[in-house]
Amino acid sequence: MGVLRGAFGRRRSQPVLPQDPVVAELVDALAPDRVRMDSAERALFAHDASVFTGGVSGPVCFVTSAAEVQAVMRIAIRHDRAIVPRGAGTGLAGGAIPLGAPIVVSTIKMNRVLEVDTVDRVAWVEPGVVNLDLTRYLRPLGYHFAPDPSSQQACTIGGNVANNSGGPHCLAYGVTSNHVVAIDVVLPSGELVTLGGVDAEPDGYDLRGAFVGGEGTLGIATRIGVRITPNPPVVRTMLVSFDSAEVAASMVGDVIAAGIVPAAMEMMDREITRAVENFVHAGYPLDAGAVLLVEVDGQDEGTRLDMERITEIAHADGARSCRLAADEEERALLWKGRKGAFGAVAQIAPAYYLHDTVVPRAALADVLRAVYEIGARHDLPVVNVFHAGDGNLHPLLLFDPREPGIMERVHEAGKDIVEVSLAAGGTLSGEHGIGVEKRDYMSMMFSDVDLEHQNRLRRAFDPACRANPGKVLPASHSCADIQALRQVPTGVWA
Amino acid sequence: MTLGIDPDELAACVQCGLCLTHCPTFRVTGDESQSPRGRIALMRAVDNDGAPLTPEIVEALDGCVVCRGCETACPSGVHYGHLIERTREALADAHRTTPWWERAGLEALAHPRLLRAGSAVLAGAQRFGLVPRRLGLPRIPLRSAPLQASGDDVYLFTGCVMDAWQRDVHRHGQAVLEAAGAGVTPTGDRVPCCGALHSHAGLGDRARALARRAIAELPGDRPILVDSAGCGAALKDYGHLLGTPEARAFSARVFDITEWVAGRMDRLVGSLPDAQPKPLDLRVAVQDPCHLRHVQRAHLPVRQVLAPFVRELVELDDDGLCCGAGGAYFVVQPELARRIRERKIGYIERAKADVVASANPGCGMHLGAGGVPTVHPMTLVARALGRA
Repeated sequence: MGVLRGAFGRRRSQPVLPQDPVVAELVDALAPDRVRMDSAERALFAHDASVFTGGVSGPVCFVTSAAEVQAVMRIAIRHDRAIVPRGAGTGLAGGAIPLGAPIVVSTIKMNRVLEVDTVDRVAWVEPGVVNLDLTRYLRPLGYHFAPDPSSQQACTIGGNVANNSGGPHCLAYGVTSNHVVAIDVVLPSGELVTLGGVDAEPDGYDLRGAFVGGEGTLGIATRIGVRITPNPPVVRTMLVSFDSAEVAASMVGDVIAAGIVPAAMEMMDREITRAVENFVHAGYPLDAGAVLLVEVDGQDEGTRLDMERITEIAHADGARSCRLAADEEERALLWKGRKGAFGAVAQIAPAYYLHDTVVPRAALADVLRAVYEIGARHDLPVVNVFHAGDGNLHPLLLFDPREPGIMERVHEAGKDIVEVSLAAGGTLSGEHGIGVEKRDYMSMMFSDVDLEHQNRLRRAFDPACRANPGKVLPASHSCADIQALRQVPTGVWA
Repeated sequence: MTLGIDPDELAACVQCGLCLTHCPTFRVTGDESQSPRGRIALMRAVDNDGAPLTPEIVEALDGCVVCRGCETACPSGVHYGHLIERTREALADAHRTTPWWERAGLEALAHPRLLRAGSAVLAGAQRFGLVPRRLGLPRIPLRSAPLQASGDDVYLFTGCVMDAWQRDVHRHGQAVLEAAGAGVTPTGDRVPCCGALHSHAGLGDRARALARRAIAELPGDRPILVDSAGCGAALKDYGHLLGTPEARAFSARVFDITEWVAGRMDRLVGSLPDAQPKPLDLRVAVQDPCHLRHVQRAHLPVRQVLAPFVRELVELDDDGLCCGAGGAYFVVQPELARRIRERKIGYIERAKADVVASANPGCGMHLGAGGVPTVHPMTLVARALGRA
């Protein structure tokens, strides 16, 4: 049997542990198979879903409890090392990219739904729970978790908290911050605290509100109390087509001005609509300049009246056609098209840079026009598929990564889009976060005084700049030495 | 060394990570290196950046179940199956994977008599309690009467291990086809093996030789029906594997047995007294074999076929995540396969079913070894028809 066992039980190779005392202590605190130090694993953890490079990962730890996160944090303090928390690594702003070979703390294994309370309408979850898994878990109870980023099938609640994530249905329901009531956090000091609470008015300052969107610079969430939302009894979805994106944009404003806040209002321009239709065959019009997917939910009669009013507004604004999804199947197919839009881009170019800014609804049409001009100026095809209802633009710059020098052009175009959005009174990011992507653009939006106060808040949580250094705040107002982070410390894993 | 992957196919991934949760090995390990995104990044590191093939990289590439659940989740349409197949072949050619015992075992699949003799020995050993249960083998019959041709409307592809170990499933499939009015020719020893397992193990030359043999043995335009999702996926892929017009024409004739029966439900039900099926009193959970759902993308017909013949059908709420069987995966990677199965069993328990229907023998064996009562859908239909 010994031979058979040898033959059938393939040995898992032992991680090669260098003489880094941090690694030995991490292994002691966790378990040998939950600390990875090999070059392959570290190389993979140097990236997330963004187009940014330059990350270097130190040891990668897979934690399973708040106590373990505390233990890792104390080891980091003892050895004066930085830590970077990471969920699924689906972020688009480089927030999870480790700079300067920090200890990477993956919360992916903290993936239990701990408790669901339908009376208080709160679910307590660990940070590694996948967004869509939570909604699926709640489905038999008649509830869901409202923030629905396009990456919801893979991204984690911990990552949603870090980035204050949005999604199509945040127009009516609000972003992640509106759906988090309390968070257990391991602070950069190693202390475990609870921010916020289930009570309507927890004592003291709203530190929960400060932590959501902190992009891992304020500590690591280890348990999250999220609001759960009852599934609406009726959902109606309508596809409206227009001659141009500008006309579509003006209808978006008119619907809101009429006092209706749809559950979602999503826009796709001509090129992306064509690609999507090719992919899902949902009956999207191939000759429209742009389409809007408008969804309302609630009671039967109320949603019917809303849809009637929206149809009137659409016709008054010069829509070419309005098509109400006849049944659940047709509705699902329309959404499949919208949610698969990024994939459909593959028909046009092998890679894309998905941008994220927000502009006032009134400026949508002008900014859209400017975005197309920016694409033309940099010789990059641009398509737009975005959350029109809240003015959250998502231009996709299309390119072939194998073309020499292409990334410089892509980043220049990205910067131009930021400038145009800010000039129109918009913001740097709607839902993807700042990360490294927009760190150096922060001073385009905030004054020195603003930035200094943000830095003070950060230092109140993390005086040593241990948590996710080099992110969000620009070098001029960061407690971290961003220059030094670009260099790989010697002797870390040699 | 390089893996020699088509650079265009390798460039298609944009690292968005939407595949992660659809990957069974990532789900149970959380390691990027055990995810499709991570594996593709490692393939790129080797092929584009000249990274050495360290043991860790080989382990990551070897850990893939090849369920291809990532392909249906991928918004960019990456052909992950092509990437991993090419990778496996390069690794096996360099003798970095697929040890001698695995090669020897796979070689036996192409020799029906040898396979049957070995199976008889194994069946005997089982009767004396000499085969450890944890290997997850089903109870292998000591002998089983050969299948008889009943006409020449369709071929029933019988394959290797399945014919040796689960011939009754073929018998049930044939009975259902006959009830639907088709004369059936079982392929038997003429086509010893489809080559799917060889292809997964990186033995590309062997897989291509078996494909050529199957094509030569089954000329004409008769439909080729398959009751093993893994074999069906392999046969449907011959067009890509060999790249010849003949192979493409062959692949176009291949259908999963449920696809074909679903198109003839009126005849199947019409053959019954008063055209009234007598459903089995069972709540049946449908487990979609990955190679039916993610590779053939033909997992819906089984529901249509089963619905009239059982009391209740119930879905598993896991988006068709792999069970960990993966052809011979559960033999070569027992630990990962067991952890993947545990996860699957959690979803099966939530479905509160009497029995699980799986259209792939490997999934059935693997789940069965985990204590889940699993049957082939054709067996359920044949029972309801009074033909099993």
